[in-house]
Formats: sequence, C-alpha cells, structure tokens
Amino acid sequence: MTMNQTEQSTGLLTAVARGDADAFEALYDRYSSMLYALLLRILGNAEDAQEVLQEAFVKVWTNAQMFDEQRGSEIAWLISIARSRGIDRLRSRKIRNERENDAGREVSIHVGFTDKSTGADHAIRSEEGTAVRGALAALPDAQRVALELAYFEGFSQSEIAERLGEPLGTIKTRMQLGMKKLRESLRAFQ
Amino acid sequence: MTTHEEFESLAALDAVGAATADEAAALRSHVEGCPACANAQAELAEAATLLARGLDPVQPPPDVRARVLASIGQHVDDDDEDDNVVRPFFNRWWWSAAAMLLLALWGWRELAVRAEREKSVTAEAEARHFSEENARLTERNEKLSAQIAAIAAAGTKTIALTGQAVAPSASARVFLEPEQRRAIVFFSDMPANTADHSYQLWIIRADQPKPQSAGVFDVTQTGKASITIENLPVATEIKGLAVTLEPKGGAEQPTNTNFYVSGGV
Repeated sequence: MTMNQTEQSTGLLTAVARGDADAFEALYDRYSSMLYALLLRILGNAEDAQEVLQEAFVKVWTNAQMFDEQRGSEIAWLISIARSRGIDRLRSRKIRNERENDAGREVSIHVGFTDKSTGADHAIRSEEGTAVRGALAALPDAQRVALELAYFEGFSQSEIAERLGEPLGTIKTRMQLGMKKLRESLRAFQ
Repeated sequence: MTTHEEFESLAALDAVGAATADEAAALRSHVEGCPACANAQAELAEAATLLARGLDPVQPPPDVRARVLASIGQHVDDDDEDDNVVRPFFNRWWWSAAAMLLLALWGWRELAVRAEREKSVTAEAEARHFSEENARLTERNEKLSAQIAAIAAAGTKTIALTGQAVAPSASARVFLEPEQRRAIVFFSDMPANTADHSYQLWIIRADQPKPQSAGVFDVTQTGKASITIENLPVATEIKGLAVTLEPKGGAEQPTNTNFYVSGGV
C-alpha cells in the first residue's frame, strides 16, 4: 500500500458538492481525526480546535463545489481549509501569546479511536502516517523547525528569523530546501 | 526579472504560509500564465500537507460530529436511518436553515455574554482604581492634617535653615515638636537632584561626634520637598541640621561637606 492510493480522490467531495449529505458524513468520518489533530497542533486547545473543526466542515459543505481535482487532492483541499481557519483563529484570539505564557498547558484529547471508517481505510492511513513521519524525520532539524513554525504557528519569515536568531536569508533557504525534500518524498511515494 | 526557479522558491514559502503578501501576489500573478510554475506550486502545496498528515490522528468528541451534521441540516441518529432512502431536498435545507439560525442566535448570545463580561471586568478595574486613588488621597489628607496640627501646636518650635555656598537661594523651615520628638521640614528653592543622587538630612548632635541621618528625599524641578522625621533625639541633644547630596538612597555618613541648607537649633 502506498500513499498514492490514499491521495486518489474518494469522490466524496464531488458528491458533497452535489449536496449529498451521506457523502458529507463519510467525508467527516474519514478525515475529521486528521483535521482535529492538525487543529489541536495549531491551537493547543481542545475547545478552540473543536469549534474551528466545526467551522471548517461547514465551510467544506458550503464551498465543496469550489474543489477542483485538477488543482490538488481532496485531502490537500481539506487540510488547507482547516489550517487556514486554525491560523485565523490563532491570530484573532492571540492564542499565541497565551501559549507562550503557558508552558505547562495540557491538551484534553479523546484518545479512543472510534472511527467509523473501515478497517482497510484505517490500515491505509496508519501506513500513510508511518511513511509521512519517515519523510518528516528525514528532514534536518533546522529545516523542519522552520517549516513547522510557519505551518503550525503561522509565523512569517521575519518572525521565524527573529525567534531563531538567524538571518532572514538563512531561514528562507532552510524552508525552501525543506520543502524541496518534502516534494521529493511526495514524488517517491507516487 | 524573476526567474522560474525563483518563483518555485516563492511557491515553497507560500506552501507553508510563509511568503510575504507581495511575494504571494507576484506568485499568483505569475502562475496564471505559467503552467510549469502552477504545477510546481500545486506539488509544493501538496507536499506541505505532509506536515499535517504526519500528526497522529485524534478522534474529536462525538458531540462535534453531531454539531457539524446539525449545522448542515443532517439528522444525526444513524441507527434510525435507512441509508438507501434519499432524503427530501427541502427537508435538508429546512434543517440547515434552522441549524444556521440556531448557530447565529448562539453566536449572538455568546457575543453579548462576552461583551457583558468585558464590561464587568472594565468596571471592576475602574472601581479598583478609584478605591486605590481614594485610599491614597485619604492617606495624603491624614498626613496633611497631621502636618497642619503639628505646625499649629502650641509647643512647636520653628527653626530656619539657610542656603549655603552650593545653593545660596535654598532654604528650609523646620517645625519641631519636642514633646512628640517629631519634626516636619519644608524645603524651598532647592536644585533638583539627578536620578542617581538623593538629598540627605543630617542631625548634628551635641552628644555624639558623628551626624545622624534623619532621612533622604528627592527634589523635582519645583525646588520644593518636605520630610517628616519621627523619633528625634530629645531637643537638647540636637545641635543643628544640614543637608548634603549623596548617592541614591543615602549614605551611612556624609560623603562630602557641601551643605545645601543648614542651621542651628
């Protein structure tokens, strides 16, 4: 099983675009765990993550007809919506400051995996997760840290440079090299 | 002129949301007419999602699913539903509208509650501020009353301190209450001290060879200051008073003999 198999469109979004509520339920059951993990990582707060997850899925329902399979995968479209709303919430509520002042914070999460997707789906995603984590682990720490600060914390290039105490040019180069490696990893999976 | 390679580099930054607004705009404009860069941008955006896909999945609580489905007008109770039945279109949209209305009402109520909460916090802060200000004014009033009472007391002795060579126009008036062993000193036309220095008032005693500190004080541009001295030596032991400029916070003994004001009792 390769990552490519899970990147193939399930057709669920196309069905959702037609107003198919069953497809929407299936879409939620398939991707909500991944998107919730992403929002917990961005917001560091279960209550906010749940609210934003709800907002993101409502947006998926209302904007599904804007999804273009030719321009990206189903999963990438969903992730971009959830991440974008997560970063917006992070900025608007200044959660970043709270997080910096709250080193001992704890995230309340539901660890029981009661996914409604099939065993095969779960197996695919477990395998995908292992492959992806391998690709991320292969990145040099400096590149991974810079990418994570941008992707999960919403920091700009200059903010990252300031936080890491490195010149802006160095940070840009690290991020570009890191993205190049991730792109190569993605191609290797396909 | 920006090259395709440079646009790819911008697309790499844009994929993780790190491109500046100008860079993102330039990239958007370029990819509209460049299929190769558009393809690279799409690949990089896809690659960036690996960061999210590498996270361990976490199942959201079941009520989130219920809320999401309610938001889009879908019935939640799967057990009672026959998946082969096509739901009436108008029903879904009716539920959707109702759910949106409920969400809007909930949001409006939440905003109102938050606004009230913020108003309450602001009012509490203002009340606290006024209470502190009131306490400060009361304390000041008590101090002034005590000073006036001391000045007006029958046994109060008045002593004039005169400006010396370093501040000839400076002066001070001491209101000494011998029975209370207390004195209030009002200074006038003193030069303002710098931030790293303080004025220090010394009691020159008849019974001791070294002067005794009676306290430190600062003088601003107004040239005025006052100081209250408690637990004074008995009047017969006070030979005179003098003021020197000392390092901030004062000194054990005068570090110089440049008196600003001085006078005998």
